Amino acid sequence: MTEFYATVIFLFVLFALLGSSVWIGLALVGVAYVGMELFTARPAGDAMITTIWTGASSWTLTALPLFIWMGEILYRTRLSEDMFRGLSPWMRWLPGGLLHTNIAGCTIFAAVSGSSAATLTTVGKMSIPELRERGYPEYMIIGTLAGAATLGLMIPPSLTLIVYGVSINESITKLFLAGVIPGLVLAGLFMAYIVAWYYIKKDQRPKPEPAMSLGQMIKESRFLIPVMILVFIVIGSMYFGWATATEAAAVGVIGALSLAFAQRSLNFKTFTASLMGATRTSAMIALILMGASFLSLSMGFTGLPRALAGWIDSLDLSPVVLIAALTVFYIILGMFLDGISSVVLTMAIVEPMIRQAGIDVIWFGVFVVVVVEMAQVTPPIGFNLFVLQGMTKHEISYISRTAIPMVGLMILMVAILVIWPELATWLPENVRNTPNG
Amino acid sequence: MTSWPDFLGIPLWFWVFVLPSIATVLARFFRAKAKQILQPVWRLLDRLYTASGVVASIFMVLILLIIIFQMMARWSGVTFEGSTEFAGYAMAATSFFALAHALGHGAHIRVSILLNLNQFTRLWLNAFAMFIAAITATYFARYAIKTNFLSEMLNDRTQGQDQIPDWLLSVFEMTVTAPWHWGQIWANTSDAWVYTPVWVPQLPMSIGTTLLAIALWDHLVRLLVNGESDIKAETVQ
Repeated sequence: MTEFYATVIFLFVLFALLGSSVWIGLALVGVAYVGMELFTARPAGDAMITTIWTGASSWTLTALPLFIWMGEILYRTRLSEDMFRGLSPWMRWLPGGLLHTNIAGCTIFAAVSGSSAATLTTVGKMSIPELRERGYPEYMIIGTLAGAATLGLMIPPSLTLIVYGVSINESITKLFLAGVIPGLVLAGLFMAYIVAWYYIKKDQRPKPEPAMSLGQMIKESRFLIPVMILVFIVIGSMYFGWATATEAAAVGVIGALSLAFAQRSLNFKTFTASLMGATRTSAMIALILMGASFLSLSMGFTGLPRALAGWIDSLDLSPVVLIAALTVFYIILGMFLDGISSVVLTMAIVEPMIRQAGIDVIWFGVFVVVVVEMAQVTPPIGFNLFVLQGMTKHEISYISRTAIPMVGLMILMVAILVIWPELATWLPENVRNTPNG
Repeated sequence: MTSWPDFLGIPLWFWVFVLPSIATVLARFFRAKAKQILQPVWRLLDRLYTASGVVASIFMVLILLIIIFQMMARWSGVTFEGSTEFAGYAMAATSFFALAHALGHGAHIRVSILLNLNQFTRLWLNAFAMFIAAITATYFARYAIKTNFLSEMLNDRTQGQDQIPDWLLSVFEMTVTAPWHWGQIWANTSDAWVYTPVWVPQLPMSIGTTLLAIALWDHLVRLLVNGESDIKAETVQ
């Protein structure tokens, strides 16, 4: 029974620290300390540093700062203008018109950036004013952008997948490749939604775009070439086994720097700004990971993960029911925590559970990304909502209402993943052997 | 080595936990005086955090360079022993050095629902959170330093294949020993390469966590003296 009380205290401290707005990384360290003191006689401090040092100095983690840096460089280039110019000639013919540039732009930028906030700002700063000017309804502009930006987390490189891979010790390259097809399917769903809007709400259609000759279209698409080369370098090098995830990131940084240089948007100021910005973001995630690694050590002593996995096992749930339950769990968690924190906080408990249930961990990574993505656009704490609020000056409540259909589409995506798990598992299983994971 | 040895006859935990707490409370009671005394200190500390952020960003560039050299070495058939370990050390260094800098720029994330409730929580809940965070970070820093010393005492070496020149090791040793021992260090330095002692890459951990702890106490005092937090989140990335 004392075990039970100790567990209650442990969970209470966890919620108290997180709720009272202690920085997440440090809150996890605090909770883990309490867990160590309650459940084991091992000296907490020394065990803490050993675990944290091993985690913080690990080679796999180095992909993280480099991908963040790459995104920071691209964010400071003229890439968003170029992408809009290159994409719009092709999108204007589709039913739903230029709204599709939101989706296509986010999909392409997601393939060179690992964060959904960066995707959102880069695409939105160009598409929002352009679409408004052409008279597209505001709720469609904002809703589709909020939804599509979450592709930044799903299509590789993805910071959430790196963090997931580091937490459960799985190959990041495999996880990245697993995210490609589901990401494209989700993008397809968003586009289908725009097409549906076009046919259902006929009165909301803006004036059709003026005609454009094919030659003109091809000429305008040259603006897409640099970013497409970058996409190919980053994803292609991993797919063909030329490079590990970290190496792909390093090449990506060089590529992004060259692109910025070619555009003449690279100078000392933008270089240092991107570098310092990336250093800060990377330190933020590193602190959370440090706290999480100590917490999972401490969790091990509490016996909570084993007990829970055993309990789930005794219930004899089918994997589908388990996944449904976890979906609800992550949506609730995502209302208060950002995606990366939800992943690291729960992995110590969820990993034994899913391994016990025989669920593929690579597939589960993609699943987790979809569900924590939803958290980015659901109130009260949705990171993308805040970014959009800053960009459009709308109320959070308005923005989150416009994003509701997108959340619905993501839930549909979870169902699709459950029905056709091959969407996530096929590509990583068919990849050439990578040099070293 | 005990965790909390006496320092000047008083246990170490008093110096690192109780003393800053008392100083913080005093600063709240004598706000005008504290502000007057602390303003130059704040300017100095801000520079220190920025400097440590710059050091962190240099290590970030170093990660990039190490990985590019590693790729070039692989393509040209040359072996680059221990490149993964070196990249890992640079990773740790960039993370730890940037901790305090990231804090000041509002980069570290927190659950701020209750925080933004009203003016009262914006001051007092924030102060409570910073106090807990400061205690935690101090604890973190204390053990980081202890582990760092232990690694040096036990002469703990890397598990990997990474080696550094002995003279470089001696340079690091100079920074942590008294000047009158420097002659002896260099007398014992060989031309050889040695397996990296763990304490060298662990130095950024000790420095970075200590700076984070200082920064948290510092921001707590600033919050209580000025009545508002000076941690301003910038546009998110």
